[in-house]
Amino acid sequence: MLLEVDQVRGGYGGGDVVKGVSCCADAGEILCLVGPNGCGKTTLFRLLLGILPITGGSIRLDGQDVRSFSPRELASRIAYIPQYHTPIFSYTVLDVVVMGRAARFSAFEAPKAADREAAFAALEKLNAAHLANRKYTSLSGGQRQLILIARAICQSAKVFVLDEPAANLDYANHQLLMEVIADLARKGYCVVMSTHSPEHPASIGSRVLLMRDGQVAAFGPPEQVITPEWLEPVYGIEIDVVTVRDRYDTRRTICLPVRRPAQPLL
Amino acid sequence: MELLHREEEARRRRYYRLILLGLFLVLVGAMLLSFWVGYYPLTPLEVVRAFLTRLGYAGALRPQAVTIFWNIRLPRILSAVFIGASLSVAGATYQGMFRNPLVSPDILGVSSGASLGAAFAILNGSPNWLIQLSAFTGGIAAVAFSYLISRKSAHSQILSLVLTGSMVMALCNAGVTMIKYISDPNDVLQQITFWLMGSLTKTDMASFRWSAIPMTVGLAIILLLRWRINLLTMEEEEARTLGINIRRYRLVFIIASTLLSAAAVCLGGLIGWVRLMIPHMARALAGVDYNRLIPASAMLGGAYLVLMDDIARSILSLELPLGVVTSIMGAPFFVYLIIKRKERD
Repeated sequence: MLLEVDQVRGGYGGGDVVKGVSCCADAGEILCLVGPNGCGKTTLFRLLLGILPITGGSIRLDGQDVRSFSPRELASRIAYIPQYHTPIFSYTVLDVVVMGRAARFSAFEAPKAADREAAFAALEKLNAAHLANRKYTSLSGGQRQLILIARAICQSAKVFVLDEPAANLDYANHQLLMEVIADLARKGYCVVMSTHSPEHPASIGSRVLLMRDGQVAAFGPPEQVITPEWLEPVYGIEIDVVTVRDRYDTRRTICLPVRRPAQPLL
Repeated sequence: MELLHREEEARRRRYYRLILLGLFLVLVGAMLLSFWVGYYPLTPLEVVRAFLTRLGYAGALRPQAVTIFWNIRLPRILSAVFIGASLSVAGATYQGMFRNPLVSPDILGVSSGASLGAAFAILNGSPNWLIQLSAFTGGIAAVAFSYLISRKSAHSQILSLVLTGSMVMALCNAGVTMIKYISDPNDVLQQITFWLMGSLTKTDMASFRWSAIPMTVGLAIILLLRWRINLLTMEEEEARTLGINIRRYRLVFIIASTLLSAAAVCLGGLIGWVRLMIPHMARALAGVDYNRLIPASAMLGGAYLVLMDDIARSILSLELPLGVVTSIMGAPFFVYLIIKRKERD
């Protein structure tokens, strides 16, 4: 197993926010974190990325405890893909992507030809080489998100962590991003992403971790976890989960929040 | 198709290399020109000959030319170049580090602390070297104070630094005002006011030599680590996941920039606008990548301040304070730059 999280605990100093979470994911899989705000998804990510200290349990990458890695070593194994952002200076796309190589050369060096070549290769993997010389700040949100994924590829990590990647994207870019993520998994990367929409794991996820109050409410394949029985107690609303077939006869799962009709609120 | 993008990238890199070369030539040209400006114009030939006297040359030359070259022009020009480069590099570094293009190294109180140090020394009737030492120490102490208090704060590091910095700045400014208030208006107050205006009138080889040490150290540190400043412009957590210890770099850059700013202030007083404006001009010329921006800022800042000092000492029969000239020349140009860039974006 590439990523193994075993009874991990941690938080911000004022008590643990993540209280004994276990889950795992292998290369080529997409692990989706689902749960209401404040359930500990982002905290779990920070523990994965070594930003917050682990107070109990363990996280292992390729069987090795993440605490045994230096920040540089960790960066070459696990990459963080933030929501697309607007940096203060108008870097070119290549400048941004090549930053993924920061852990690979000494502090006194700048990226060399080999690093730029790796950045080009990462962009080509995503069919985005034509953006290389554009200004990152002039790109659309969806394109910027793609560039940040390229940076993670350039970082040569095997595990990608995405915190609500679709949150600020419009409808079409949102769909495109999900396709890119599914494609990354097919190429052998392990993707860990949090999402507000339970439909994401249902359509592309391999494993789902449903969290509640810093603990695991359910962990398993989406068919087992994305069900009204598991979702309703976590979110506190009624949810129907229906399966439909789209025009290409692909099975799709849709989550519908429902309310009993003709019930006056007062 | 893909090769095309690599070619374009390579072309851009070649273009920027030319820009850097051009800036270097501008800097050298500005320095050479400055020997000629002043009460005693030195011709280029005299400059070369005066320089050669130290190497054993003993040909035809006005005796004053040697004195002017070695004791007046050279220290002044070198001071202007070093101060300009230091202020610009410190400014560029702070803008990246605080992720804000409008930030200047003042934000942690280096200038205010230096002013307080200088005012205090002047009040006590100290000699010039002690005034400079006191200014330097004051600047360093103010930043150290801001940094140490900020570590006690629970806010994000940048916000904490900005908050504690403005607190330290307010305290130092109050101290300067207090000293001005109690000092003799016919003598000490005048001296303080002139010192705060910023000028290179008093620079000599000795004070330049002492200030050049911290400036060289600061410039060397930032030049060596310059590419990493790019990473500091990212969100703190993002930079961390790229494998770098952002707080450690921030501390190193704060120390280096403070050495630069404090030494620049102690040598030339308060010279405004350079550290805010030059990095922006350098970005417009050489791009935003710190790998090029730092050398570009250093050369452009050096050239700019030398030329401004030429204007300060030649445009009127009396010498203008350098700080006034940089502001008068700089501010309108800066506005022009902002408007032009907005149109292009």
